[in-house]
Amino acid sequence: MNKYQLYHLIERTEELKDKRHPMFERNKFMKFLMWFMVAYYAAIMLFLGVTLGFGLKGDYSAAYHRLDGGFFYLLIIDFWMRFTMQETPAQKAHSYALLPIHRSFLMHGYLIRAMLSWGNLFWGFFLVPFGLMSVVPVAGWLAFVGWLLGYWLLFVANGLAYLYIRALCMKHMLWFLSAAAVHTALVCVCVVPDHNVLRVPFVLFMNAFVQWQPLPYLIVGAIIAFAYWANFRLQMGMVYNEIGKKEEVYLKNVSQFRALNRYGALGEYLKMEIKLRMRNKQPKMQFFIGIGLITFFSLMLYFTDVYDTGFMKSFICLYDYVILGATTLITIMCYEGNYIDGLMSRRDSIFELLRAKYYFNSAMLLIPFILITPLMIIGKISLWMNLGYLFFTVGVLYPCVFQLALYNKNTLPLNVKLTKANSGTMMQSIISIVILFLPIAFEKISVLLLGPVWGYMPLIILGIVGIATHRQWLRNIYRRFMVRRFENMEAFRASRNS
Amino acid sequence: MNIKIDNLKKTFGNKDNIKVAVDIEQYEIHSGEILGLVGNNGAGKSTLFRLILDLIKADTGSVRMSNGCDIDINVAETEEWKDWTGAYVDESFLIDYLTPDEYFHFIARIAGMNDEFLDEEMKKYEHFMAGEVSGQTKLIRNLSAGNKQKVGIVAAMLLRPKVLILDEPFNFLDPSSQHVIKHLLTDYNKETGATILVSSHNLNHTVDICPRIALLENGKIIRDIDNSNGEAEAELESYFDVTE
Repeated sequence: MNKYQLYHLIERTEELKDKRHPMFERNKFMKFLMWFMVAYYAAIMLFLGVTLGFGLKGDYSAAYHRLDGGFFYLLIIDFWMRFTMQETPAQKAHSYALLPIHRSFLMHGYLIRAMLSWGNLFWGFFLVPFGLMSVVPVAGWLAFVGWLLGYWLLFVANGLAYLYIRALCMKHMLWFLSAAAVHTALVCVCVVPDHNVLRVPFVLFMNAFVQWQPLPYLIVGAIIAFAYWANFRLQMGMVYNEIGKKEEVYLKNVSQFRALNRYGALGEYLKMEIKLRMRNKQPKMQFFIGIGLITFFSLMLYFTDVYDTGFMKSFICLYDYVILGATTLITIMCYEGNYIDGLMSRRDSIFELLRAKYYFNSAMLLIPFILITPLMIIGKISLWMNLGYLFFTVGVLYPCVFQLALYNKNTLPLNVKLTKANSGTMMQSIISIVILFLPIAFEKISVLLLGPVWGYMPLIILGIVGIATHRQWLRNIYRRFMVRRFENMEAFRASRNS
Repeated sequence: MNIKIDNLKKTFGNKDNIKVAVDIEQYEIHSGEILGLVGNNGAGKSTLFRLILDLIKADTGSVRMSNGCDIDINVAETEEWKDWTGAYVDESFLIDYLTPDEYFHFIARIAGMNDEFLDEEMKKYEHFMAGEVSGQTKLIRNLSAGNKQKVGIVAAMLLRPKVLILDEPFNFLDPSSQHVIKHLLTDYNKETGATILVSSHNLNHTVDICPRIALLENGKIIRDIDNSNGEAEAELESYFDVTE
């Protein structure tokens, strides 16, 4: 087998890996949804390209210059979108580590594959119609091809930059801040001064592609070559790290949480819930992202007047309470899929586990309550709104999210640093939308009918009813879980380590 | 505790490619017995254990546990049997982000046992754990395969179950630990009268500790061998074609 055939064999294996993922095979709807979303975004890109082309019609001399002057905005969007879709070569090469294939060949193969990926052409849905309407009439077809080629090269370079940062993120998550800092600085340079100082150089640079001048091609070519070399070196090192991965094996402190001993079995499940978040990278990251978002939005509302509209105040107050549930409870039972057989061989374990999750996540709402208190003091959020959303979250929204304990049946890895994002199921998407938007609609109608104080009473009363009956609805979920336990357990096993 | 299997069948695959994993018409494991389960890979040993533990759904039939007096239950219909059953099949029984001691405490406390009971029980397994499991600040996921196996076995036995199910307990263990676990199991059986089910590919160990051995092939028990005199080895060696 020559190297070309080997390259295609690995390419085929990677395709099969995605196609034959147990959850993918099981869920025909998800397969349809994935292609639908690709088509949907492609249609949006086409629409944007055409409307922008029409919007700038009559100003053909400068139409594509306007886009070119801010091309880095496209690169920034492209960069961050890749986090949800693209794995690093180091993560992929790990699977072939013990096969008689030279690692450098694998790495070259993956990097070339990443550069030639169809994903780098996706922006074509936007650029082709726009270019047809703005570049071709002014500069002709050859210029259009040069312009598109320039953009493609920029997206390839952007993809390599992403792979580099993503690989660094595997060492430490905070590396993503370096990319965020560069992008923020770039945006600030353009937005803060009265005149965008980068616009003209960017326009000239992109125009040189249009004119087929060799310099921009050489510059971007050199950037790609450098990024390729840097990636190759970093990713090769990462493969060795992945193979010989050594974690901190011994715990420095083993927390006992003795205060929870008095609660018997429930206390043990509460300890488990805390340790799940303290000792596993994925749940820990989810938790801290939730806390970070709560803090960010609360501070934004406190220190700025950007969100001072009625809708945004409601949204941020609700968001502060719901975000922890939306980030951690939305995957309820998915981590437990790793040890579901052990849980299921203990009596009533799922009921006690659900109770512990409910109490733990309810207690965590103390954090947003503390953060919202200063907003109440300065009068941006009323006491009644605060209490309304607090009770509504614990007593109404949590019971909704807990229903996912029945339908979540894909095991999520506990302790990997960074994986392909959990794209979520249809049910998770529906519940997320419901908990983020339905309460605001309910609140607005209620306040409209009953006024700014009494309008929150229905939220508070419904919340109290949900809290008072929590044992009953948790027991109901547990009973229904036991009815469908075989189906769920089979799916947990199938998706474990896949 | 008696375990009675009645018309138990489990198949995998679709209608074009059906694989019979378990197909047992009638079989009874008597109270206080140590039953060894042997068979080639894919014979159905682990699937049978999972059916007994209600972890997979049977196509037909049932598994019942009874004590000959007041208890006679179908494991698929109630969770009561979980109070007196201990099992270790694979790593999916372990909560791997706990230390071994935390895991043992978890098992004991959710069953309502206090720390004194746990400390007393743990003493019995000190030799088996050889100082490498208990008292460690390592998480279970960072233990060697053999030590994970030890955690699973000890956790299964910790609450002194009346029914003990261990899937390939000798796997990953060093020779001295294999020797110790054999004695632990036979002593436990004598002391408590528990019904013990053990599957293994190690014929010597199975013959050493199991007075009764069931030989599985394609999901069926094709031989029910009386090994009370320790004479099953020749028959098993002949079946597995491992005679010298």
